[in-house]
Amino acid sequence: MSSQKKRATKVEPLKHRTDVDPKFFDKSWKKLDDAIREIYNHNASGLSFEELYRTAYNLVLHKHGMKLYDKLVEKLKGHLEEMCRSLEDAQGCLFLEELQIRWDDHNKALQMIRDILMYMDRTFITTLKKTPVFDLGLELWRDIVVRSPKIHGRLLDTLLELINRERMGDVINRGLMRNSTKMLMDLGPSVYRDDFEKPFLEVSESFYSVESQQFIECCDCGEYLEKVQKRLAEELERASQYMDAKTADKITGVVETEMLSIHMQRLILMENSGLVNMLIDDKHEDLTRMYNLFKRVPDGHSTIRSVMTSHVKETGKALVTDPERLKDPVDFIQRLLNEKDKYDKTISVSFSNDKTFQNALNSSFEYFINLNNRSPEFISLYVDDKLRKGVKGANEEDVETVLDKVMMLFRYLQEKDVFEKYYKQHLAKRLLSGKTTSDEAERSMLVKLKTECGYQFTSKLEGMFTDLKTSQDTMQSFYANISGDTDGPTISVQILTTGSWPTQPCAPCNLPPEITDISEKFRAYYLGTHNGRRLTWQTNMGNADIKATFAGRRHELNVSTYQMCVLMLFNSTDGMTYSDIEQATAIPRAELKRCLQSLACVKGKNVLRKEPMSKDISQGDTFYYNDKFTSKLVKVKIGTVVAQKETEPEKMETRQRVEEDRKPQIEAAIVRIMKSRRVLDHNSIITEVTKQLQSRFLANPVAIKKRIESLIEREFLERDKVDRKMYRYLA
Amino acid sequence: MGLGGGRVRFNVGGQVFDTTTTTLANAGRDSMLGALLDSSWNLAPTISGGGGGGGGGGVAEYFIDRNPACFAVLLDLLRTGSLHVPPQLPEKLLYREALYYGLLDHVRAARWGAFDGDRLLLAASVPGRAPGDGTAIRAAPDGGCCVAHGGAVHVYNWMLDERRPVSLDHSQVNDVAYLDEGTLLIAARERLGKYDGGLAVFSAVSGDLHHRFRVVHDRQAKSFTAGALTFDQDSNIFACCKGRFNEYGIGVWDRASGEQADFFYEPPGCALGDADKLQWLDATNALMVATLFPKTDNCFIGLLDFRQKNVVWSWSDAGTAASLDDKRVLHAIAMEDERSVCVINQYDDLGFLDFRSNAGGVRWSSRSKLMNRKVPGEESCYPKLSTHGGQLFSSMNDSISVFSGPECVLTSTLRRSNGGAICDFSIGGDRLFALHNEENVFDVWETPPPPII
Repeated sequence: MSSQKKRATKVEPLKHRTDVDPKFFDKSWKKLDDAIREIYNHNASGLSFEELYRTAYNLVLHKHGMKLYDKLVEKLKGHLEEMCRSLEDAQGCLFLEELQIRWDDHNKALQMIRDILMYMDRTFITTLKKTPVFDLGLELWRDIVVRSPKIHGRLLDTLLELINRERMGDVINRGLMRNSTKMLMDLGPSVYRDDFEKPFLEVSESFYSVESQQFIECCDCGEYLEKVQKRLAEELERASQYMDAKTADKITGVVETEMLSIHMQRLILMENSGLVNMLIDDKHEDLTRMYNLFKRVPDGHSTIRSVMTSHVKETGKALVTDPERLKDPVDFIQRLLNEKDKYDKTISVSFSNDKTFQNALNSSFEYFINLNNRSPEFISLYVDDKLRKGVKGANEEDVETVLDKVMMLFRYLQEKDVFEKYYKQHLAKRLLSGKTTSDEAERSMLVKLKTECGYQFTSKLEGMFTDLKTSQDTMQSFYANISGDTDGPTISVQILTTGSWPTQPCAPCNLPPEITDISEKFRAYYLGTHNGRRLTWQTNMGNADIKATFAGRRHELNVSTYQMCVLMLFNSTDGMTYSDIEQATAIPRAELKRCLQSLACVKGKNVLRKEPMSKDISQGDTFYYNDKFTSKLVKVKIGTVVAQKETEPEKMETRQRVEEDRKPQIEAAIVRIMKSRRVLDHNSIITEVTKQLQSRFLANPVAIKKRIESLIEREFLERDKVDRKMYRYLA
Repeated sequence: MGLGGGRVRFNVGGQVFDTTTTTLANAGRDSMLGALLDSSWNLAPTISGGGGGGGGGGVAEYFIDRNPACFAVLLDLLRTGSLHVPPQLPEKLLYREALYYGLLDHVRAARWGAFDGDRLLLAASVPGRAPGDGTAIRAAPDGGCCVAHGGAVHVYNWMLDERRPVSLDHSQVNDVAYLDEGTLLIAARERLGKYDGGLAVFSAVSGDLHHRFRVVHDRQAKSFTAGALTFDQDSNIFACCKGRFNEYGIGVWDRASGEQADFFYEPPGCALGDADKLQWLDATNALMVATLFPKTDNCFIGLLDFRQKNVVWSWSDAGTAASLDDKRVLHAIAMEDERSVCVINQYDDLGFLDFRSNAGGVRWSSRSKLMNRKVPGEESCYPKLSTHGGQLFSSMNDSISVFSGPECVLTSTLRRSNGGAICDFSIGGDRLFALHNEENVFDVWETPPPPII
């Protein structure tokens, strides 16, 4: 029985099925072991997948999973160590190729080994949370091959050397590079990072540190930036060709730090070629490059901006404080406009219309324009010049552009009310002397001011236009009224509303009787039609056309009212002393002197002769009718010696008037604020008042304080009894 | 290989099957059949077939030494995408064969349809062998489940085979959660003087302990009792914690590192450490905590913001409930739109609390079941709530009600006659698991695969 039983066991055909067979594992493993060797030897065609799969399946099914796994690790290790040895022998540049071939082999073999052991992957490995076969193969490749002491350094050095050669301009095998880095990436992001990316970035850092040092010694800023741009593009291209996408940002970061950040100050401030010179020379291409490159660097733009701002402020300051420039207001403003145009263009062309740059430019202009307290006057004079003469050969659109630009400067002004004062004066002069070229342009300027500062700002200016229109109508109806009686001189009266016009009270001079006659007629007519009004003659502002005969030659002289009065005296006499003239005309002394000067001392227009001959008028001078006066023209315009710009005392006066005008405005603002707030402390009032008046002028805190005191006196406000800093509104 | 025109012949355990490479491609490269046909294994044209050698008529074929009946079912699955198991074929046999071919996932996907509360059918009833009442049942994302029962958690895979039970020193298990289909998170009670209990992760497959979470108060590790659990989409795990020195609050751990990330100490008036339910609200970025009757006399529901460490919304019935007959909130769940929280009382009434207003009380809905309004008898279990795919589920006694649509209209009732009251239920992996009280049995409800036409 027992022997038979024994025999029966022996003929058991399904030996591998039985768990009891002690050689079951060894036999099965040998089968797999052989297969793995064949796979590595490219000899897999003789293998039966089904059989191998079934073998592995049975091993796992019979709880040999752990043993199988351990054997597999051992086997793979053996193979990889062998590979490693043959790789170490590879010569020079063939090393990478060899590594590549081995890597491909290994990958392929791993795939097939995994196929065989798929059942283990699905069951045993997931249950025990082991590394799956394929990943295991990669890990072993990493530890045994890539990180073996002899290969690790060599691989890195080879890769870095190739990159260095490419940087120096050589052509390298990019496909090989790509495959090598791809291998590292396949081995896991940390392998790529630690074994390639980190040293690569370090090497690049020192490379660019050295290179930037070389460049900065021998290049100017523009060239340097051009080189940086080229390097950045190169690195980006390189990264996209054979590196991980994330490396692109890191390597550009290295270039940015080494070539830009570290040298930022030096580059921007570089003498003769830095930002300032680029701005001066309008090197838009370089500026664009600088803007784009420093966009990548922390604080890059803010540095550019601050350098630009200080440069603009400096040049602007030099411009506005240069006493030479103050002599010609029109040129002064034109220069400012040119400056503005220049920077606007730079910002739009090179700085991609960056808002922060625009703001910086605006604040710089605001800063230096207000450094010169004559800026409001000059801007008004510039407008006066443009509107008086008209822009040469310019059409309406051009005038509009000029005006728009002026408005831009106007916006920077803190003392807009001063501008208003001057503008009013200049407008008055233009209107009264009939020198405005284009009514359209005048109106357009008014509209611009109105949209900028509100209707109060321009209401008086508009009143001036209305006055002129009414005057025309009045004159027409006056002459219609006295028709037929046109023997004497004709007058044209412009009726100016007091308050709208910048009139100075002046003692009326003695008009010649012919004029007095007709003007009295007009006064009668006007007061007859308009009840309760008062007319005052502004003799300092009129002008006259008179006919004169000089030794038989007839001329028509265009003169001011004062000059007319003086000349009319010479109808009855040939010579008069200064004091006689002064007595006869009652013209204020300063005015008289000026008008005599223009009649007697201007060459070619000296209708009077002065004795003694000199440039200046003095009390004892005597004036004669100059019968030797000749002129090619029939019509001669005798100009008055007028200061276009204000003289020092006049300036003071204007300033004082402005200060005077500000008082009620400040008070109104205080009352408005207090009415709504009822109780407020001192500092808040100052802040709010300043804010409210900002559009017109920059209120002085001391002035505001004075106004508050005045309001307290007049019992609009009172101080709080407990807290002296608080004010209370008294309704 | 195989026949021409993309045709392939298999000889499985003696039975010949002809099919096409296209059909087999449905198995995927990561399957035995996929590897078998892969070009790396079919380099030499001289070899006829994978391993079986030539058949009688010189036709190349692949020999596979497996059960032909199961192969027929699996091949049919690859051809049609639907699973039809002949009645005489044991399911377990099929599953084993599917695992051999690497097609188990295919089988599972075809085994039952996408979850729909209104089309559920009872698929199985699995008796448990542990004595006493079960604590909780949880569905795994892959269709498996686990039952917490006293000091152990019984784990079932989706084929409803029981795996090794999991326990944390056999301490009473308070709550369980599947972090993923292979990872179980277990919260257990600390026994006096033993320094055990707390919170730990286990492999759901092997039952091995992976990591035990620690709580540190004042730089000192303390033992604690862990209660309700939840986790968010990133990597945070939240659990109610009760330390023995009154360290009540919500602990937060990082799933990846296993380290404690935060601790939200219980502010006065907010019961956090002993909550019944935690729920992470993704869109709101807040944690809902509900501590309810009968654990406390005063129900509290709150939303915690961990970034600012404050309670951004809360509701409590303190002072409103006078007698036992009053409506008591017994369970709560935040609705899927995260705008409101749904609550249920002992009469099976549904109520809603709006997260957007801080003042309003519970808006009880009489649209729920207008059933007998008697206080449930002794044998009943407290009701539970759950949401899934826009539907709201509530358990009461031995049935589960399904409410659909924005108005929460009752659309289905799931009931099985024996097994007694339902003490807990859970939805996941397109299945609903209901744990019954009396016979310690759990029911598995599935949506059948879509009809043929």
